[in-house]
Amino acid sequence: MIECEHVYKQYKNGTNALYDVNFSVKQGEFVYIIGPTGSGKSTLIKLLDGEELPTKGNVEVVGINVGELKRKQVPIYRRNIGVVFQDFRLLPTKTVYENIAYALEVINMKKPQIKKRVDEVLDVVSLKEKKTSFPHELSGGQQQRIAIARAIANRPKVLIADEPTGNLDPGKSDQIMNLLERINKRYGTTILMVTHDLTLVNKHRKRTVVLEHGHIVADLAQGGYVRHDQ
Amino acid sequence: MISRPIKEGFSGVGRHLAMAISSAIAVTITLLIISLFIIFSYNVQNFTKNIESSMEISVMVDYNYEDSAKEDVIQKSIEAIDGVKKVTYSNKDQEFQYYIDSFDDEKTKEAFEPFKDDNPMHDAFYVEAASGDQITEIASEIQKIEGVAEVNYGGQSTVSMVDTMAMVRKIGGFLVIGLTLLAIFLIQNTIKLTISARKDEITIMRNVGATNSFIRSPFVIEGIIIGVLGSIIPIALTVWGYTTLYQQSGGILVSNMFKLVKPNPYIFYLAGILLGIGVVVGFVGSLLSVNRYLRWKR
Repeated sequence: MIECEHVYKQYKNGTNALYDVNFSVKQGEFVYIIGPTGSGKSTLIKLLDGEELPTKGNVEVVGINVGELKRKQVPIYRRNIGVVFQDFRLLPTKTVYENIAYALEVINMKKPQIKKRVDEVLDVVSLKEKKTSFPHELSGGQQQRIAIARAIANRPKVLIADEPTGNLDPGKSDQIMNLLERINKRYGTTILMVTHDLTLVNKHRKRTVVLEHGHIVADLAQGGYVRHDQ
Repeated sequence: MISRPIKEGFSGVGRHLAMAISSAIAVTITLLIISLFIIFSYNVQNFTKNIESSMEISVMVDYNYEDSAKEDVIQKSIEAIDGVKKVTYSNKDQEFQYYIDSFDDEKTKEAFEPFKDDNPMHDAFYVEAASGDQITEIASEIQKIEGVAEVNYGGQSTVSMVDTMAMVRKIGGFLVIGLTLLAIFLIQNTIKLTISARKDEITIMRNVGATNSFIRSPFVIEGIIIGVLGSIIPIALTVWGYTTLYQQSGGILVSNMFKLVKPNPYIFYLAGILLGIGVVVGFVGSLLSVNRYLRWKR
């Protein structure tokens, strides 16, 4: 489902963000990408969602070679993946319903179908009663659940979560993890989650890929990770 | 799916009302100036045309050539000159009568009666030019024809006035184009501010897979709405102001020479033009602004 082969990324200022990164994620897998600040996690996300191009190597997601995408093709490609961010990125002027519906309008889904789908995903994230609320009327945890609902609304095969619990307290983080696990099981969605929250990684054990200085230093199939300096 | 950008365009105006109002005011001020220039230019054009059409060359035939065969040759020679639209003949008796008729006073008319038998007038041709700016050239060509005693036309001052009016008209045209571009620049800058404040929204729209045209369309509709809103006051003021001016002045400005164009239907065409400029300015201005934030480098 996700293939990274000898991926290098060097920015114009000379920074080597990724160095010979190799890993693959199978369909239905739930994988953590962990690493300290500056380890290349954000760059990896940018390569996976088509925002940046690799300097060298292949990045393939859902059978699409992301490095070969033309700029015009990127929006179409993004409809195949769902992305969740640390800062939620909800449209502030739209209601919960409209935020989720927007992701479906861009794929030209018909209105009755949109309504049905929005209701369905709001049910998955248990926030049906917040349909007419605006993002600023919701707590951080609720906003992230709405962002997840939007990300899965068009039933993507892959969900990329970039520090989805970064702005949440441990209790809310746990709720988000439970929700992501539920989505992974219910829809068979492949989930790649970038995090630096080792408590979560050790509590909800899954395959863990460790990045340091732009390079993969460990790929732990059983999960669980204790930093050397701890 | 067409209704989505329209709906979002209207709600965009409502959500960013202060910005929309300032953009609309920029359009309003510019359209008011444009309206004044169009009214001025069009009236000058109309006035110039009136002068041009009333300008004719009078050609007096030499006394020695006053027989029909010779005058026929003169008429044909005049008609052969490039730019001559119409040649009308008037014999010396008719000319005498015109002269007498030009006096209002009966006593003066009677005073000229004795000259009827010893008529001092010439046979004459009246020549109309296809265009006013050819008058001087045609007059000098006629002067060369054998049997022509004298050639008169409005004179160099009238021709210069027509030329000046034509220049004023051209300058007016350039000013209208220049002001339209200025309006686009103004609205572009104001809309740019509204869009700049919403660039995070554009990023989010991109994240969920929206194409540039999908993102762009509501912003463009918003720009058009602002353009239309901005043209309401200029249209109302133009229609009311010009109609009132026409009614108060009786359609005449300063003297009979300066006749104003009738408001109906002219003023309604102008209202349409102002609305059209408002729409174009809103469309182009918003398109240029939003495109700035849709350019994507990677």
